Amino acid sequence: METLGYLMDGFSVALAPHNLMFALLGAFLGTLIGALPGLGPANGVAILIPLAFSLGLEPETALIMLTSVYAGAMYGGRISSILLNIPGDEPAMMTCLDGYPMARRGKAAEALAVSAVASFIGSLVATVGLILLAPLLAKFALTFGPAEYFALFLLAFATLGGITGKNPVKTIVAACIGLMIATVGIDNTGVQRFTFGVLELYEGVDFIIAIVGLFAISELLFFIEARASGDTPGMTVNKLSLSFSDIKGIIPSSLRGGVLGFIAGVLPGAGASLGSFIGYTLEKRLVGRKGYFGEGDPRGVAGPEAGNNGASSGALVPMLTLGVPGSGTTAVLLALLISLNITPGPLMFTQNADIVWGVIAALLIGNFLLLLLNIPLVGIFVKLLSVPPKYLLPVVTMVAFVGIYSISNTTFDLYFMVAFGVGGYVLRKLEIPLVPVILGLLLGPEMEKNLRHALDVSNGDWTILWGSGLAISLWALAGLGIILPYIVGPLLRRRMRAVTS
Amino acid sequence: MSRLNDRILGILLIALAVAYGQGATQLPEPFGGSGAVGPETFPLLLAGVLGLSSLYLVVRPDPDNAWPLSRTGIELIIAVVVLVLYALLLAPLGFIISTTLAVGTLCWRMGATPLSAYLTGLIAGVVVFLLFNFALDLALPLGLLDFLEVG
Repeated sequence: METLGYLMDGFSVALAPHNLMFALLGAFLGTLIGALPGLGPANGVAILIPLAFSLGLEPETALIMLTSVYAGAMYGGRISSILLNIPGDEPAMMTCLDGYPMARRGKAAEALAVSAVASFIGSLVATVGLILLAPLLAKFALTFGPAEYFALFLLAFATLGGITGKNPVKTIVAACIGLMIATVGIDNTGVQRFTFGVLELYEGVDFIIAIVGLFAISELLFFIEARASGDTPGMTVNKLSLSFSDIKGIIPSSLRGGVLGFIAGVLPGAGASLGSFIGYTLEKRLVGRKGYFGEGDPRGVAGPEAGNNGASSGALVPMLTLGVPGSGTTAVLLALLISLNITPGPLMFTQNADIVWGVIAALLIGNFLLLLLNIPLVGIFVKLLSVPPKYLLPVVTMVAFVGIYSISNTTFDLYFMVAFGVGGYVLRKLEIPLVPVILGLLLGPEMEKNLRHALDVSNGDWTILWGSGLAISLWALAGLGIILPYIVGPLLRRRMRAVTS
Repeated sequence: MSRLNDRILGILLIALAVAYGQGATQLPEPFGGSGAVGPETFPLLLAGVLGLSSLYLVVRPDPDNAWPLSRTGIELIIAVVVLVLYALLLAPLGFIISTTLAVGTLCWRMGATPLSAYLTGLIAGVVVFLLFNFALDLALPLGLLDFLEVG
C-alpha cells in the first residue's frame, strides 16, 4: 500500500494547475504529431525537447508534458491508418487491417471512436501494470552491482533491434558508433579524448543536438528523396452514431490487447509492433469465426490499437526502473531525463519519487484528457491530415532549428545538427538503425563508469563481469537477443506480411 | 543485385576502428594513475567490437539500396546547402528574413509554387518570432530588422 501513497503524492503533482495545463498541451501536440504525415513519435518528442529545455520548465513539468506528447502520438497515429490506410509507424500497421475497411464502408467516425476507446483502455490497463510492476522491478534493480549494470546495458543494445530486426550486426555497428561519439570530450579521469583541440567538443557532444539532427533533418532529406504523394486527398468523416452496446462489444478485445501489449512493451526486444500484432492475431483467433475480420470488424480495430498503446506504456517500465529504454521514443525521453540531471534507474524511485510518480499519475490523467480530446476534436485532427508535407516538413525543420538555437544561441550547434542529419541520412540508406546510435550516445558514459567501478572492485580482474548468476543470465539473454533475430525474424516477418496482404 | 555499399561501409568502418583505437593508445596517463580502467580501455574495447562487426559486413554484406543520382541527388545537395546557409545567416539577417528565405526555398524545391512557398516561410517566421519573443520570452535575433525593435 506504500505504492498507493506515492501515487496519491503523484496525483498532487500532476494535478497542479500548470502541470495539468502542460499535460493538456502535450496531449494535444502529441495527437497532432502522431496524426501529421511524416512525423513519427520519436521525431516529434525530439523536436519538442529543446523547447521544453529553453523554456526552463521544472523537471516534473517538462517530463509530464513530453510523456503526454508520447501518449498522444500513439493516439494520433491511428487517424491516418484508418482514414488513409497509411500507418504512421510500424505498430499502426495492424490498425489499417480493419480500420480502413470500416472507413470505406462509411463508418470512419465509428472506427475513430472505437480506436480511441480501445487506446484508452489499453493504456489504462498498461498504466495499472506499470504502477504494480515498476516499484517491484526498481527494488530488485537495487541489488544490481556495476558488473550487472554493464551486462544490462549490453542486453539493451542486443535486444534493441527487436526479434523482428533485420541485421543484428548492423545494430552492433550502430551502437558502437554511438558509444564512440559518447567518448568524445573530457572523461572522468580528466583526460581529453578525441577533441582535436576543438573547444566546443571539450564537454562532449550534446546528445539533444545529435538526436534532433538524426531524426528531424534526416527525415526532411528522406522525404525530398522519396518526393512521395503530392497532396493527400481531402477527408470527410460521417456523423458519429455509436451506441453503448458498440462500446461494450469491444471492451473484452481492448482488455486482452492491453494486457498483451503491456507484456510485449516490458519485455526487451519485443516492442509495440509485436504488441499490436499479437493483439490482432489473438482477436482473430478467439472471435474471428463469429466476426468479419479484414472487412471492418470493430474488434479488429480495438485489439491492435489497445495492444499498441499498452506496449507504449509498458515500454516505460524498463526506462524508468533500469534506465534502459527499449524503443526509440523512450530513448528520447531518457535523453530528456539525463539532460535534466536526473539519473534514471532504481534510485530515481527513492531520490526523485515526486517526479516518477508525478509522471505516472500524469499518464493516467493524460489518458482521460486524450479520450476527451479525441472524440469531439477528431474533426480538427482529420483536417490537419490534409496539410501537404511540402509545407509541413520545412516548417518542422525550422522549429528544430529554433529549438536548438534557443538553447545556446550558437551557430556551431546548428552546423553540428545539420551534420548529424546528413550522417543520419547516410546511415539510414545503409540500413544502419539510428536508435542504437542514440542509445550509445546516452548510455556511453554510464556504461564506462560501471565498467570502471566493476574492475576497481575486482582489482583489474575482468572475470567479475560475469561473476554472479544474475550477470551470467543477463549475458545469456543478450546473446539470445543477437542470435534469435536470425531464426525468429524471417519467420515472424513472413507471418506479418501474410496477415497484412 | 550489388552488395557494394556494405562492403565499402565495412572497410571504412574498419579504418575508423583502427584510427580510433590507435588514437586511444596515444591518450596520456591521467594525473595520479588510472587504476584498472584507464581512459583508453573502453575506447579500445569499442574499437575491437566495431572492427569485428565491420569485418562481418565486408564478408556478408546486405543487398544495396540505390543512392539518389542526378536530379534527386542535386535536390538533396540544395537542401543541405540551404540548411547550412540558414544556420550561417540566422544571426546576421535576423530570424524572420532568414526563415522566410530558408523555409520558402525548401517548400519551393519540394514542389510548392514560389509565391505560396515564400509566403509560408514569411508567415511561419513571423508567427514563431512573435511566439518566442512575446509569449515564451526567448529572444530571437532581429538582424536587419533591428530598427523595428520597440523599447
